[in-house]
Amino acid sequence: MTLTVSFTINGAPVSTAVHPETVLADVIRDEFQLVGCKVGCDQAVCGACTVLVDRIPMAACSTFAFEAEGRDIVTIEGLARPDGTLSAVQRAFLDVQGFQCGFCTGGLILLVTALLERDPDPDRATITDWLGSAVCRCTGYLAIIEAVETAARLNREVAA
Amino acid sequence: MSLLLPSNRIHPALPSHPEPPQQGGHAKVTGAARYAFDAALPGMLHAKVLRSPHPHARIRGIDTAKAAALPGVVAIVTGADARALALPTYGFTIQDQPVIAIDKVRHVGEAVVAVAARDERTALAALALVDVDYDPLPALPDPAAALAPGAPLLFEEPQPGFALPVGAGSTSRKEPAPNVLYEYTYTRGGVDAALDRADHVFTDSFAFSAINHYHLEPHVNVARFEDGRLELWSSNQDPFMLRADLSRIFGMPDTDIRVHTPLIGGGFGGKSYCKMEPLVALIAQKARRPVRLALTLDESILTLTKHAAELTLTTAVGADGRLLARRADIVLDGGAYCDASVMVALKTGFRIAGAYHWDALDVRSRVVRTTKVPAGSFRGFGGTQASYASECQMDMIAHRLGIDPYDLRVMNFLGPDEPFAPGDSAIDSDLKGGLDEVCTRLGYRAPKKAGHGFGLAVGIKDGGGTGNHAGAIVKVSQSGRITVLAATAEIGQGAGTTLCSIAADVLGLDAADARYGAIDTDVTPLNNGTHVSCGTVVTGSAVAEAAASVREEILAFAAEQLQCAPADLALEGWAVRRNGALHPLEPMVRGYYGGQGFAFTAYGHVKVPYDDGAPLRSQNLFWMPCWTGAEVSVDRETGRVTVHRLVVGSDAGRIISRRACEGQVAGAAIQAYGQAMFESLRYTPALQPENATPWTYRVAQAADLPEHFEVFVTEHMRGPGPGGLKGIGEAGMLSIAAAIGNAIEDATGVRVNAMPFSPEAVLAALDAADPA
Repeated sequence: MTLTVSFTINGAPVSTAVHPETVLADVIRDEFQLVGCKVGCDQAVCGACTVLVDRIPMAACSTFAFEAEGRDIVTIEGLARPDGTLSAVQRAFLDVQGFQCGFCTGGLILLVTALLERDPDPDRATITDWLGSAVCRCTGYLAIIEAVETAARLNREVAA
Repeated sequence: MSLLLPSNRIHPALPSHPEPPQQGGHAKVTGAARYAFDAALPGMLHAKVLRSPHPHARIRGIDTAKAAALPGVVAIVTGADARALALPTYGFTIQDQPVIAIDKVRHVGEAVVAVAARDERTALAALALVDVDYDPLPALPDPAAALAPGAPLLFEEPQPGFALPVGAGSTSRKEPAPNVLYEYTYTRGGVDAALDRADHVFTDSFAFSAINHYHLEPHVNVARFEDGRLELWSSNQDPFMLRADLSRIFGMPDTDIRVHTPLIGGGFGGKSYCKMEPLVALIAQKARRPVRLALTLDESILTLTKHAAELTLTTAVGADGRLLARRADIVLDGGAYCDASVMVALKTGFRIAGAYHWDALDVRSRVVRTTKVPAGSFRGFGGTQASYASECQMDMIAHRLGIDPYDLRVMNFLGPDEPFAPGDSAIDSDLKGGLDEVCTRLGYRAPKKAGHGFGLAVGIKDGGGTGNHAGAIVKVSQSGRITVLAATAEIGQGAGTTLCSIAADVLGLDAADARYGAIDTDVTPLNNGTHVSCGTVVTGSAVAEAAASVREEILAFAAEQLQCAPADLALEGWAVRRNGALHPLEPMVRGYYGGQGFAFTAYGHVKVPYDDGAPLRSQNLFWMPCWTGAEVSVDRETGRVTVHRLVVGSDAGRIISRRACEGQVAGAAIQAYGQAMFESLRYTPALQPENATPWTYRVAQAADLPEHFEVFVTEHMRGPGPGGLKGIGEAGMLSIAAAIGNAIEDATGVRVNAMPFSPEAVLAALDAADPA
């Protein structure tokens, strides 16, 4: 049995046939070749597969594909402007090297993007609380926290 | 080729290196970075593995008939297929681990049946239809049980392989006793006499826990057999070691095996040495189709752990606090199979001396086989176990003698230029300088807050490997752009950035235009693998040599074109200067070679020589210190430890990228901090892994960081690499747990001898010390 789901992904409307038990991560990776969505733990712990669903960060490995019906999905490939200009969060992660192996980075950048949309100037406790839905085994988090604070500052500079 | 030797001089200070452009950073923030996880081939099948539910059992039979009949299933592999291989086992120097279980299983999670099917869903459905008939055997839960007289044997016969050769004062024995995989000893001076003479002799035992690597990209491989060649896209960080293993296992010439190493999504040792790569190749061979096997994190946890250990140190000390002699008995829990256990035993034994003077040492380090997940390489292996025990005992000795732990360390430190051991290289960091920096940053001399405790620890390990060698190719195009080819895998440490920066420095060209080439064993020069923090120094020295040769080649070409001697010319950007006039190179190259241009190309190769006079049969290339200070408080009602401050420093010799160096130290330190505070792989009494899932295996998250966490990296300019460089990747692991344990003792007066320092463990230690 398959069902058809329709949604937008990085702004483009799409339709695809999926099994009821297919997860969103597999559709994003296999059907749309957006392999920046990484599957780490496959159990919604590590956050590497995080995508934005109607601007809410979700673990694509543990979200059914049919749940995407009518939603707006953004993956890491959809964050930069069409001319290649990086978003403030991407810029900040790049500038302060908020990554090492990079496997968690796409998910983290989307998670932080959603955080700053809700709280443009988060304090340290809010940042570490929000990062609770991600694991980075490489950095020891110092550079990631610095990247979040840098991105918030970049956003403020753009707004000012 | 040149020999690479430990540095015995201070390099002249260079101007501070600007932060080099990141190789691949843009791809990592835009989702364009490609890992082995993303490798895909036309017609590719997907494999899944059925794993043993028993810690130890004989396999009486496997019925795969129903699974084979499932539509979409293409191949099923069992031990019967492995038995037909040229060599059905693997392991570093002792090959005892079957490609897939043959007749017996020896740990929960061992691979028993593999299925390749059109997709993972079908492969999993097929595995559910497989029947395995097990005859359970007695389990060996820990080294004590495995060493007990009459204990059941994990292996009835000696396994293939050899005892790794060692140097002066050392011995190396393969399978010296029942269930003992390997034994290393090191002896110098007369320990018995020193113990008899000493004013004080202290014997203390330390227990060290097992943890998992938890790299976010699971182990993943894509294999293809085609036209007699085996091609592999692998997350393994040792492409050439893997090629050699596959060559032995399949009985194929190594040149018929081609390994690609894309970006690696974290490893920390978990992706070094051979793992399930031969199994994926075997499935692909049988299926006659490309096959991908991506483990889940649950499966990765059942693939490899760090070595749990028991370390007993008997240390003789003079009345003034001078260290005289040490006897060490180290027992490592190797789990079911060798993996890298031989190296871990040897390195633990070698490193147990710590950063101090000794008149005599007598060390025995054994790996014992148990029916648990195999233990192997984990960032700084042996160094973390040794530093923990040694640095905890330093504080215990200081307290017993009424000496400040800082003073005890400083009076016993090896000074710069003093050899670590007779016949070995000299310490190439200012150990006291680093510890002083920690004390200043920690406020070690300031009055302590009520209930708080301070702990110091200084870990040290050898770095750069034993007799390692590496090749590198540097190419410079007609437009002055650099390509570097080397087999140091990009695993998050910034190998490409560092190696490109080294080449650009030698050539005076822009590192932003340099590219680190893809790793492909058909074209990339060989090295020993991405290990022991050797990439910057060993491979980096080969890159520097290749870059210097290419520079000569460029000047020779320009001299010929300008009809002068190369010595008359200086390379200046992508032009040569002669008598004040600047001649651009690009038109010169195109004028001679034509429109397609040209690439000046040179090979560099360095080898660390073997030396039988050194304990490990090669003088160690450089030394990696880890200076740590912790401030903690302990809730005596709950046993909860709060780490208020954690300061960690190391010495990079010379820094190319400060952010990369600090990132390495911070990342390693937080892995070690997690192990100290809460992280461990636990087993039930029936030897079922208790928390081998992402939900139950807890690693450090951002909210777990100490209230204040500070990292520093010094430049002592004494390393053997270009400009005084040393490696730094493993350093930050070494002495975190000891510093925290020492701070707990300082705060409470009680030594907690169980890792992690969980509230339960701390409360138990407090209660034991004060039963009232």
